[in-house]
Amino acid sequence: MLIHEPRGHLHPISSLIREANLIFLQMGFTLVEGPLLESEWYNFDALNFPKDHPARDMQDTFFLKDELGYVLRTHTSGLQIRYMTEQVKKGIMPPYRIIAPGKCFRNEATDMTHEAEFFQIEGLALGEDITLAHLKGTFEKFFSKIFKGNVEVSFRPSFFPFTEPSIEVDMRLTGTNVIKKLRDKWIEIGGAGMIHPQVLENSGLDSKKYQGWAFGPGLDRIAMLKWGIDDVRLMHSGDLRFINQF
Amino acid sequence: MKVSRVWVQEFFDHPLPNVESISNALTFHAFEVEDIEKKDNDDILNVKVTPNRGHDCLSHRGIAKELSAILGIPMKNDPLRASISLGPKTDSVSIKLEEGNLCSRYIAGYVRGVKVGPSPEWLSKRLTSIGQKPINNIVDAANFVMFDIGQPLHAFDADKLVAQKGKYKILVRKAHENEKMLTLDSKEYALTDSTVLVADGHDDRPLGIAGIKGGHYARVDDTTTNLILEAATFDGPSLRKTAQALQLQSDASKRFEQVLPPTLATYAMQAFITLIKKTAGGQVIGFSDAYPTAQEKRETAVSVDHVNAVLGTELRDSQIRDTFKRLDLAFRERSGLFTVSVPFERLDISIPEDLIEEIARIIGYDQIPIVELPLFLKKPEINESFLKTELLREDLISKGYSEVLTSVFRNKGEREVLNKVGGDKPFLRDNLADGLKEALEQNIHNKDLLGLEKVKIFEIGTIWNRDKEEIHVGTIAEGEETKEISLDQARVNIGKENLPVSRTLRYQPFSRYPAVTRDIALFVPGITNPDEIEKVIRENAGELLVRSGLFDKFEKEDKISYAFRLVFQSQERTLTDREVNTAMQKISSKLTENKDFEIR
Repeated sequence: MLIHEPRGHLHPISSLIREANLIFLQMGFTLVEGPLLESEWYNFDALNFPKDHPARDMQDTFFLKDELGYVLRTHTSGLQIRYMTEQVKKGIMPPYRIIAPGKCFRNEATDMTHEAEFFQIEGLALGEDITLAHLKGTFEKFFSKIFKGNVEVSFRPSFFPFTEPSIEVDMRLTGTNVIKKLRDKWIEIGGAGMIHPQVLENSGLDSKKYQGWAFGPGLDRIAMLKWGIDDVRLMHSGDLRFINQF
Repeated sequence: MKVSRVWVQEFFDHPLPNVESISNALTFHAFEVEDIEKKDNDDILNVKVTPNRGHDCLSHRGIAKELSAILGIPMKNDPLRASISLGPKTDSVSIKLEEGNLCSRYIAGYVRGVKVGPSPEWLSKRLTSIGQKPINNIVDAANFVMFDIGQPLHAFDADKLVAQKGKYKILVRKAHENEKMLTLDSKEYALTDSTVLVADGHDDRPLGIAGIKGGHYARVDDTTTNLILEAATFDGPSLRKTAQALQLQSDASKRFEQVLPPTLATYAMQAFITLIKKTAGGQVIGFSDAYPTAQEKRETAVSVDHVNAVLGTELRDSQIRDTFKRLDLAFRERSGLFTVSVPFERLDISIPEDLIEEIARIIGYDQIPIVELPLFLKKPEINESFLKTELLREDLISKGYSEVLTSVFRNKGEREVLNKVGGDKPFLRDNLADGLKEALEQNIHNKDLLGLEKVKIFEIGTIWNRDKEEIHVGTIAEGEETKEISLDQARVNIGKENLPVSRTLRYQPFSRYPAVTRDIALFVPGITNPDEIEKVIRENAGELLVRSGLFDKFEKEDKISYAFRLVFQSQERTLTDREVNTAMQKISSKLTENKDFEIR
């Protein structure tokens, strides 16, 4: 208190994004960003969401007053389209590898595990030979580094309009250096899948030639698991009793 | 959807495994099971059918079909594989589809002389098991068929309709301007011109909101003896808009919204009639079927190589053959290419990747190997904007600022969201400063607890002006002016690499109760190590002491005065003065056991 001015503290989400970026950078992934106020084309249409279909209800979307056609992005998945379209325009063809961490929005009531503002990390690997098996390998690598332990990754069937097949990803941490609360338990991590051919076509790519996967787990959830954070609302609380612990 | 284990068992001769095995089978190969409820001798599974399978799986038959494929247990009979035709035709009921694109099929069945009454026990029990209330043998038959095979149905009291020369006329039309309708549950709805109605074609009277809710006027009650039965295929997207506009969602509308195959209506009408004849008697006069464009038959092909190329597997032809057989997908096979004749109810299957998903999930995703990505030969690009925010973070943190995130939703701003849940703070922020000011005030109260001399915080976040979205950097600290600039304007020193990440292992929940601060100062001989004093303080303060620290020091002759700031807090309650005084006394008396120490 007396002598020197201490260093400030980094928000845990920023720390996690920094760490994720380092891990993925080593695997050749480029970090991309994009607007939070997104057009319905990027957020829904180009991602193969049919108009007036219950699949859109899965999203609890914030629409804007007097701004037809725009939403607060409900996921980072629109950045897949943005990135691929831009690359194609520049004449740069796959392979592509990107991650896109960032804030997303769901119009839902908040509680200890739900927040209207949350963070996702989108990942995409596209090429001529990228398989679902590579997704397992990539998740294992990422999670074992983030959680500093042995990780098993398991897939379950799911549905997203922009992936086919679509999966839910679960992981299990094993080994004595994993804290007891997480050890040996299957934990739900988030959605993923093989990029739907229509999404590639919508981005101007030949879906007969290229294939790959995309994923979009929640960063808040990963942070909560990693550090044992008990309330997602702490992330936006601005409370240093929380932040200064990181 | 609520699924009764006993009901599903009806589709099999072979007994199904226990409910946990059923639940696991569904979760790992089809749909997540949210919970299981024990009910008498049954188990009710709450199955989260995904929106791509609403065409066929919002039904016990659909779930049974899935289990048959997953568990490899054949169904004793699949009601949707029977070869049936509805007959006889009748001209007693004619159908006019004014909105052909909003209703692709309408089958009317005409039955005379039924006896309306309570349903037999087995039927009531089926419906009760999944939380449905039995009403009478006609309405219950419609509901049963819906939950059994997935097609919503409806029954009208024929005698309420106008008969011209003994002939009825059903009209599917859009609602007129300012048209109103009283529904079955005696609620009046003001309809919009996009609402599709089933009406009496002779006098134009609305009989029901198509696919959503029946009307009150022609409802079936105890006096009903003649029926017009409806099995129709209404357009999903338009029906969904109507249901949302009227805030009227029903089990029927939920199914139509997912888009139903028109072929299903034949099977549903047949099942409906059969059940009514069994439970309410009556004589079938005949059917009328308006079906302008028959559902097309679809084929989709996938090769073994394609399957393996996508999944990263080494599956053999035989495994794919076996999967398709289990799924009851008819196929032709020619040198590794499987051409599947897609069953009418599987509207979700249209491209090769759909078949790859079927194979992957039935074989099991645990069969997908773990493979590392091949090396990436391109150099990853540096994201300049992200790099800049990272360097800014490091710069500010090195100057003692901590990073906060505050909400983008505010009470005022230049742009606003619609229908925010809770309604609170619907505006998007147009600055960071307001949020930062609030965060600063909130943290100042906890300064002692945090051990900070000065609270200093920053945020890097998005703001919205009328015409643009941009990233701002804002700082605020006690005794400093708030600074806020756009990221574009911010200047950073390039250079630092390997920025540090948090080394924290676990977060400790903090107390929500107020902290109490006390100072203690004492004169001690010049040679005394202040750490030793603090150690005595800590050892005697009790468990309520959450922070201690030296904050002042001065020398007077051969003595030194050290002042310590102590912060007390409980995880369970607000501390009283007395509790803190007791702790302070204990510290004082322990310290003054040393005769050279003098409390100031």
